[in-house]
Amino acid sequence: MSGALLRAGGTLKPGLPPVFACLGLLLVWQLYARTLSVGGIPDALSTVRELPTILGDRESLYDILDSLRRMAIGFAIALALSVPLGLLMGRSRLFAALVNPLLMVSYPVPKAALMPIIMLWLGVGDASKLLVIVLGVSLPIIYHAYQGARAVEEKMLWSASAMGMSGPARLARIVLPAALPEILVGCRTGIVLALITMITSEMIARQSGAGNILFSALDMAQYETVYAMILVISALGILLDVAFEYVRGALVGWSEPRHDLAPIPA
Amino acid sequence: MIAISGVTKTFQRRGGGTHLAIDAIDLDIAEGEFVSILGPSGCGKSTLLYIVGGFVAPSGGSVSVSGRAVTGPGPDRGPVFQEFALFPWKTVLGNVAYGLREAGLSRRDADAKATALIATVGLKGYETFYPKELSGGMKQRVAIARTLAYGPAILLMDEPFGALDAHTRLRLQNELLQLWERDRKTVLFVTHAVEEAVFLSDRVVVMTRQPGRIKAVVDIDLPRPRRRDELLLNPRYQRLVIDLERMIEDPPEEMRA
Repeated sequence: MSGALLRAGGTLKPGLPPVFACLGLLLVWQLYARTLSVGGIPDALSTVRELPTILGDRESLYDILDSLRRMAIGFAIALALSVPLGLLMGRSRLFAALVNPLLMVSYPVPKAALMPIIMLWLGVGDASKLLVIVLGVSLPIIYHAYQGARAVEEKMLWSASAMGMSGPARLARIVLPAALPEILVGCRTGIVLALITMITSEMIARQSGAGNILFSALDMAQYETVYAMILVISALGILLDVAFEYVRGALVGWSEPRHDLAPIPA
Repeated sequence: MIAISGVTKTFQRRGGGTHLAIDAIDLDIAEGEFVSILGPSGCGKSTLLYIVGGFVAPSGGSVSVSGRAVTGPGPDRGPVFQEFALFPWKTVLGNVAYGLREAGLSRRDADAKATALIATVGLKGYETFYPKELSGGMKQRVAIARTLAYGPAILLMDEPFGALDAHTRLRLQNELLQLWERDRKTVLFVTHAVEEAVFLSDRVVVMTRQPGRIKAVVDIDLPRPRRRDELLLNPRYQRLVIDLERMIEDPPEEMRA
């Protein structure tokens, strides 16, 4: 028992505290739902029992995969636009001075609130939802790419230019890798925002997707399905985050100080 | 080889107004000469080096290298910085081979040449290490190897041993001198350490600060190859160190600082 849970030194294995946290939350939920038995709040056990029904259903599964596809495409588009923009801002004061006011104004605007307008332009299909995801994901990535590019050591750039490297080449081959640890911090926030905007866009433009299942079930008072979908979406978010942390570790293991975001002391 | 004439640099100050960092510097450096620029911190000696490197444009005057005016950085002038400025995402081998790949060498040739250079600076076996895994002294060896790799005719060294502990500093001074004895590159070496300047240089340029001007140029007429333990007993060496120390002592300036 202790060998399975503890690592040398007597501390818990690093993966375990989040697992315990999840189990603890489910337990609290179960007890709460049982003791109060308020209408519309199913208990944890019957919600978990609902999961195979959703995940076993072809149509639901297809909807969820469709959501993930949109999220991935939206994230990729945002990445492709935001990283060069942020890096340029970080290396050109003039460019930053031009773009920064725009970002400052758009930063606090809830991107999902733009969905109705976007739907008027682009309809209720993929295009609107993708655009909302792109808008939601872009800002943190631009911001972190900007900060990362600004912090690049001048002398590293000088060393490269002494080797004969031109300005644009330095941006791609020195500024980009040097800013990568910071960019990936933005990406981590971006992934969570992609998930949020994905669900919200499907809530507004109900056509398909995980958000659609959730809110249609809510309309029909199928609370087990609602809660089960929340579990599915949360699990997706956690899995994506864990997977991303692995990728990040592999990409920027060279960096110091390590940008350890995971605030979980083992 | 390097001709610096009338070089002036003023900086725009934050609150408005200008600050004269260096003023009317004239200096000629011959091919194969090891010249140190010695001065207190804030005298603009690094700025002068950056201007020769083409990293910073002078406000007035001009620099030419081998008869051609300097308008920007180039592989004929290789910098080595106090901050090392290694590429942290590259291994030791990747750093040293970087300039060679930039120069168009194939990966195989670049790696072979870099591997040999890494051995020359005493880091054999560390090829796959990342900069964060190295000590300060090792990082600076990598930085020196990275610059030597692409074969610059001139080395521009900006207080390269300033961030190292005393012991490592002495070792690297010795090794730099040995390297230099081999191929006698032209070296412009910025430092605020008197003994370091005397030990390494053919000539020491003493600068004053605010504004940075040349106060004196001192010939270091000590025989080569030099050994530190012999030099410490050499009265001529002692005399030079004492004279230079007095020269950079600047009581009114120090009191203001």
